[in-house]
Amino acid sequence: MISRFNLYLLNLYFYTLFVLLSATVIPILTVYVVCLGLLIPSRRRTMKRFRRAISWYGRVIIACPYPFIKLRYENAVKNDPEGPYIIICNHRSASDAYLMGILPHELVQIVNIWPFRIPVLGIYAKLAGYLNIRMIPTEEFMQSASELLKDGVSIIFFPEGTRSTTNKMGSFHGSAFRLALETKAAIVPLCISGSENIPPKGSPLLRPGIITIRRMPAIAWSEYKDLTAFALKNRVWKIMDHELSVMES
Amino acid sequence: MTEQEVIDKTNKVFEESFEIEKERLVPEANIFVDLGLDSLDIVDLIVALQSSFGVKIRNEEKVRDIRTLQDLYQFISSIKNDDGVKNG
Repeated sequence: MISRFNLYLLNLYFYTLFVLLSATVIPILTVYVVCLGLLIPSRRRTMKRFRRAISWYGRVIIACPYPFIKLRYENAVKNDPEGPYIIICNHRSASDAYLMGILPHELVQIVNIWPFRIPVLGIYAKLAGYLNIRMIPTEEFMQSASELLKDGVSIIFFPEGTRSTTNKMGSFHGSAFRLALETKAAIVPLCISGSENIPPKGSPLLRPGIITIRRMPAIAWSEYKDLTAFALKNRVWKIMDHELSVMES
Repeated sequence: MTEQEVIDKTNKVFEESFEIEKERLVPEANIFVDLGLDSLDIVDLIVALQSSFGVKIRNEEKVRDIRTLQDLYQFISSIKNDDGVKNG
């Protein structure tokens, strides 16, 4: 158990680094993306670079609080169906979005309204083609998401819709699973454990700990094609709920 | 078709297409709050009910008023009866 004083010290250390690194890394990445965009003016490639830049930035930020906060990525999966994937992730902390930087794929996150309002990062999210599920009609959302998958971009959903206040996952919304049934994309459950206090919901204070991200085997379309979106979302929920209890037992 | 047959067949749709456990399928269960379906799941539900009962369900006022399983049983009974009257 960390004392209150040390906790504040850790957070002072982290947030100072966070601000300094953001003020350095974001301009560097912006110059990189813009210069390459001017040299090779292709919209598709520029978006890919923005997505890569977000990933790199995420990796830098999650490395900041080391060794107080450690990150473990577990992927023992072999012979997965080919991507792009619809990645289904549980959601406990504001840091979850940054943790996605550890994934090796070209990614777009499906977000709520507030990430688009974060200064600078909100602009990056828009330029990288992140989709705001609350602001666009369902049909338009499905079409944009299908086009991303066709383009080879994997899509990350946090289908609980909001951070859970306990370690128990909230029930899932159905959009990700309707999209999967429509596009035949493979579904990858991604379980995050340990992020619930980094930082906890309702507080900006990070606690020391270990975050484990476990990538589970992809579920191919042939395995779920006969299910309704409702049954599919509940099946994936059960798989993840079981895995999280194994990880935390 | 008897009332019990409508209940059994409707519950079977929930069990098979939605994988909802039998114990949760009580008449007073709210389809949205207790069973967790959302407005888009209702489209899948209507498709499954149409194929199970062999009836056509239109997007009418009565469908939008359905909240509980009991409402749904009554709605299906009424359209089955209408069908019977038309065919008779």
